[in-house]
Amino acid sequence: MRLNSFASAMVGTLLLAVAPAAAADAPGVTADKIRIGSFGALTGPGYLYGKLVMNGVEIVFDEVNAKGGVHGRKLELVREDDRCDPAGAIGAVKKLIYQDQVFALIGGGCSNATFAAREEVEKSKVPLLVFASVHDGITTPPAPNIFSTATTSTIESYAQLEFALKRGAKRIAVVSMRDSWGRARYEPLMAAFKSKGVKPVADEEVSPDANDTTAQVLRLKAANADAVIVLLYPKPAAVFLRDSAKLAFKPIMIGQTGIADPAAFEEQVGVPGGTANFYTISMVRYTPDDPAVDKWRKAIEAKFPGDRLSVFNLFGVGSAQVLVEALKNAGPDLTREKLIAALASIKNFETDTHGGPITCSEADHRCHKSPAWIRKEPGGPTKVLDVTPVSLN
Amino acid sequence: MPVFSRRNVLLVLLAGALILPWMGNPYTLFVGTLLFIYVLLAVGLNLLVGYAGQLAFANAAMFGIGAYTTGLLQVRLELPFFAAFPCGAVVATLVGLVISLPALRLSGLYLALTTLAFAQATQWVFLHWENVTFGAGGFKTPLISFAPLPVETPTGLYFLSLLLAVLLTLFAWNVAASRIGRAFVAIRDGEVAAESLGIDLLRYKALAFAMSGFYAGVAGGLYSALLNFVAPEGFDLFQMVLHKAMIVVGGLGSVTGSLLGAGILVFLLEALRAFKGTQEIAFGALLLVFVIFLRGGLVSVLKRNARGWEEPLRLPERRARLLARPGTASVPGE
Repeated sequence: MRLNSFASAMVGTLLLAVAPAAAADAPGVTADKIRIGSFGALTGPGYLYGKLVMNGVEIVFDEVNAKGGVHGRKLELVREDDRCDPAGAIGAVKKLIYQDQVFALIGGGCSNATFAAREEVEKSKVPLLVFASVHDGITTPPAPNIFSTATTSTIESYAQLEFALKRGAKRIAVVSMRDSWGRARYEPLMAAFKSKGVKPVADEEVSPDANDTTAQVLRLKAANADAVIVLLYPKPAAVFLRDSAKLAFKPIMIGQTGIADPAAFEEQVGVPGGTANFYTISMVRYTPDDPAVDKWRKAIEAKFPGDRLSVFNLFGVGSAQVLVEALKNAGPDLTREKLIAALASIKNFETDTHGGPITCSEADHRCHKSPAWIRKEPGGPTKVLDVTPVSLN
Repeated sequence: MPVFSRRNVLLVLLAGALILPWMGNPYTLFVGTLLFIYVLLAVGLNLLVGYAGQLAFANAAMFGIGAYTTGLLQVRLELPFFAAFPCGAVVATLVGLVISLPALRLSGLYLALTTLAFAQATQWVFLHWENVTFGAGGFKTPLISFAPLPVETPTGLYFLSLLLAVLLTLFAWNVAASRIGRAFVAIRDGEVAAESLGIDLLRYKALAFAMSGFYAGVAGGLYSALLNFVAPEGFDLFQMVLHKAMIVVGGLGSVTGSLLGAGILVFLLEALRAFKGTQEIAFGALLLVFVIFLRGGLVSVLKRNARGWEEPLRLPERRARLLARPGTASVPGE
């Protein structure tokens, strides 16, 4: 009996010894470390969706590491700049996978860049959790190894339209940019209009570098729009709202995750009361000044002196928590296949930041379908009004 | 022949390039292919700007035209890559010829502005002619196959790019050292003087633009195959600045300089990934250094300090005699 116990203990010890060795065969995994790659814009205007989100990921990794890591392994983040450019993203992904030998990826800020890199990631079978890119083509049709915690364009489009209709809007108009970012949102929005049997009363275009939108505002006013869905970057959107206020055009203005910081946006608009009717979507249910995210504010300020917490950091916090949860569920004997299976089986996982629970499945890798509605009353605090769970089935 | 001569150094680099697929990984193969594409772009642009002295800013647009034509012919008309690819190069060449028309009346800043406007117009077409170009979202191109050759697509594409880069670089050297190259240089140094020597400005300017367009078109076709994705942001002002920087850093009016410039810039762009976010600073600083202190580019340093890096505007006499047509006594005058 004693011999059997001894033998069992030996076998157990051997298995424990072998487990990290087996895991060590997986690229990017050693007995005490898991190397995770991240790609997105570290420079240029796209850094909001790249660098800032990565900062959020990093503070979660730091917290996990301070508590001993995942199954005893510390998480290491390796960043690559994709310059918001398709070639840059493919190069970044190839470098992370083949040169830096990362175990998994968390990243993707600019839609076209991430979409271009999809094929390479899919071919490599390296698990990728997308944290900010909204292009539907990244997750639809689903690639076995690519998941997303970003609210994709289709989800946001349905939420925007739903929001307008709920607020009693009868004459809904659209103002959009037609660059790759705008296109990735415009087309799903038009599909959402069609599926709801609604026809936009006006459809205006604004260029990303516009500094005057008087003509567009006058045309929307002439169309008597009572709600305008705004598919613009913060800068042209600020110009549009400024001109709307100037011309006394006061419909409900409905933004999206590109304008996810209403406090900064109010400053950009710069006209008292100019954002009074402005509502926008956030992937996260808290604003940076909410006491609920105090912990993360302190972590950002400690790790990146001079930075203040932004919603983009919070995107990264939520996404990193999903990845950490999947790594935990994948078990100590870590393989990419196990992580992919763990990601696919995440159900109703509440992060500290996302608008609703994260649920992935084998058939649907768009894991975040609960965009939060936020609003900042002029001069007042930013408030989260509601969360719109979107069902696409 | 000195050991550190241009020919020896380039042969060593070529040997390294030939064995890279067996030594590197898919990432190094990708960067290698990208390097050859930029070599083509830099060599073509240097013929136009460095040799012919035409301050044109349409190279990124022609690069885009090559990529879009190759990609769209594959997607819209389902042509195989090897049929679509030459068409892309031909279309870019023809566009280059068309751009040369205003170049006859314009020069310097005016030509720069005209070609810049053309580049912006091309971007506009890529973005807004949605029925054809798929608009701002871009489009995926089919994966090319090298069957029946027993090579995988990335390796095949690498060798195809290498082969074209080598052939078109040799061609550019020969052009530069021929009557055409000397006519380009004469136009660059003084159009009136060139005309008085009997050089047909229309013919040679058109030729320079067409050649530059051809090189950019070939590069564009390879680029669309490398990325399997074509989108307008790949051919924007940054791309134009990159091409210009390559010939400035390498050396204007030098084919060898184009190779060096392309190599340095691609290496810099990739190596600086390790220093996160500092690419733009390093890139700008490099340009400043070369514009202020090294206006002849890196190749001028090599020419000054090492033997065997000269690029004469005439072929060595033995080769010239071999190439000369029967009855032609020597290379036509400079």
